[in-house]
Amino acid sequence: MTGRDRILAVLEGREPDHLACMPITMMFAADILGASYRQYVSDHRVMADAQIKTAEMFGFDYVSTISDPAREASDLGAAIQWFDDQPPAIIEENALFADKSTLSAAKAPGSIFGGRMQDRLSGIELLRERAGKDLFVEGWVEGPCAEGADLRGLNRLMTDFTDDPEFVNELFEYTVGVAKEFAAVQIKAGADIIGIGDAAASLVGPRIYNEFVWPREKELVDHIHACGGRVRLHICGNTKRILDGMGALGCEIVDIDYPVPMDQARPRTGQQQTLAGNLNPVGEVRNGTPETILRALEALLQQAGPRWIVAAGCEIVRDTRHENVRALVNFARSHTSMSEPHCVAH
Amino acid sequence: MTQSNELYEAILSGNAKKARAATEAELAAGAVPMDLIQQCMVPAMDEVGRLFEAEEYFVPELLLSGRAMKSALELLKPLLSASGQKMAVRVVIGTVMGDLHDIGKNIVASMLEGSGFEVIDLGTDVSPAKFVAAVEDRKPHVVCMSALLTVTMPAMKLTMDALNTAGLRTQVKVLIGGAPVTMQYAKEIGADGYSENANGAVGLVKSLLAGA
Repeated sequence: MTGRDRILAVLEGREPDHLACMPITMMFAADILGASYRQYVSDHRVMADAQIKTAEMFGFDYVSTISDPAREASDLGAAIQWFDDQPPAIIEENALFADKSTLSAAKAPGSIFGGRMQDRLSGIELLRERAGKDLFVEGWVEGPCAEGADLRGLNRLMTDFTDDPEFVNELFEYTVGVAKEFAAVQIKAGADIIGIGDAAASLVGPRIYNEFVWPREKELVDHIHACGGRVRLHICGNTKRILDGMGALGCEIVDIDYPVPMDQARPRTGQQQTLAGNLNPVGEVRNGTPETILRALEALLQQAGPRWIVAAGCEIVRDTRHENVRALVNFARSHTSMSEPHCVAH
Repeated sequence: MTQSNELYEAILSGNAKKARAATEAELAAGAVPMDLIQQCMVPAMDEVGRLFEAEEYFVPELLLSGRAMKSALELLKPLLSASGQKMAVRVVIGTVMGDLHDIGKNIVASMLEGSGFEVIDLGTDVSPAKFVAAVEDRKPHVVCMSALLTVTMPAMKLTMDALNTAGLRTQVKVLIGGAPVTMQYAKEIGADGYSENANGAVGLVKSLLAGA
């Protein structure tokens, strides 16, 4: 099976030849190519080269255009600080909607395809052309809560939920509009799946998530499906209290980050939900050994059951030893969802 | 409900207006500012920390309670200064050079302030030189450094080196934290402690200073 066929088998409920492997790599992939991260996030050709080289070198089943939280925000005109070799960062002090009244004058979601968003589209087209026969191609959008934080400032947004819920609803209506438009064109460009990165959602707790965030995530997921796409939901951090909501969105894949025990994630998201994760990228993948990683993956296989994709809980960090990354793929290749445990981590 | 309960409840519920009003009423009734801090604000923020650790409060509630606490503290600080009273412990906190993330740092700063410490927040992208200058000028008991990216963590080591070079390292306790940070890294760079959460940071500051 190709990596693409393998992932499709998992998502369609068929038994693949062995487990699929979809670790998130960004700076790690740039380092594999020998490119600076600034080049990686600025030039889709560098990103495509890096993703393909990394996927082929280690044996991943997919390639991705995930890069940094500032892509849409850049094109909207947000103040961004650029670095030579780390992700560009949004300058929160000068957030685009620091003044709430500027939201009403914001560019219409369908009209904002500037350089960086176009660059991702070009990346998808290039990945599709060069690797799409064998590898799953992943697009990416900022989720409604994350984009709201990017444009309003995370600290401001956190208190806005109580201070001005009406504004938050308007803000999220805007950000989900941006995400829907961006996701749609990525699907047209050939993305097999759209990642939704909504990290800020892990900070708010179930009350705020259910009232403000979930309905907008659902709107986005439904829209992606209506456009013929699939969804990988990625909420970094401790999502223990919102697992039920995450499982109810209808996403093809839900990523689980390391603070959430997999044996809680599985029953709360449902037996039919494909889960990916959740090794600790620093504590287990970077700082571990192939042996400790193997033991941890054995335990995860038992806890997650079928419909599980091998991955870390979040991005594989740069400086991770290659043998450790290979350990993830080696495990995937030597195990199916029916595999008996050889040893189980305690 | 007594006024001091009102201040406690206002901080717990994140109501800055009520916290300010309750403080004004207390002061008008002759309350001692440091008593209000130690007997109302600190217990309220301790409870906020407990609720956060218990995953009943989340970042929005924490920030709102912190804001309510600060609105009360704004009324009390000038009175403390006028009477020559100071918070017993001074903490310098910042996100390290090259890193603009601050939500975790802000939460820790709020919790430390709510514990009755004086907190000097240097903000984000704080160079080693700026940390050193703050230690020289403000003479804190503790320096807290935050990083959210593995690529910015090396700035923690650079800051430790800068404190050593300036001859200031032994004058302060240094704590580090942030998502990619580990106890192992804290030991590697010679930090005095590491905490994986805000509540832990407060406890660590207290225990380090108790053992000092």
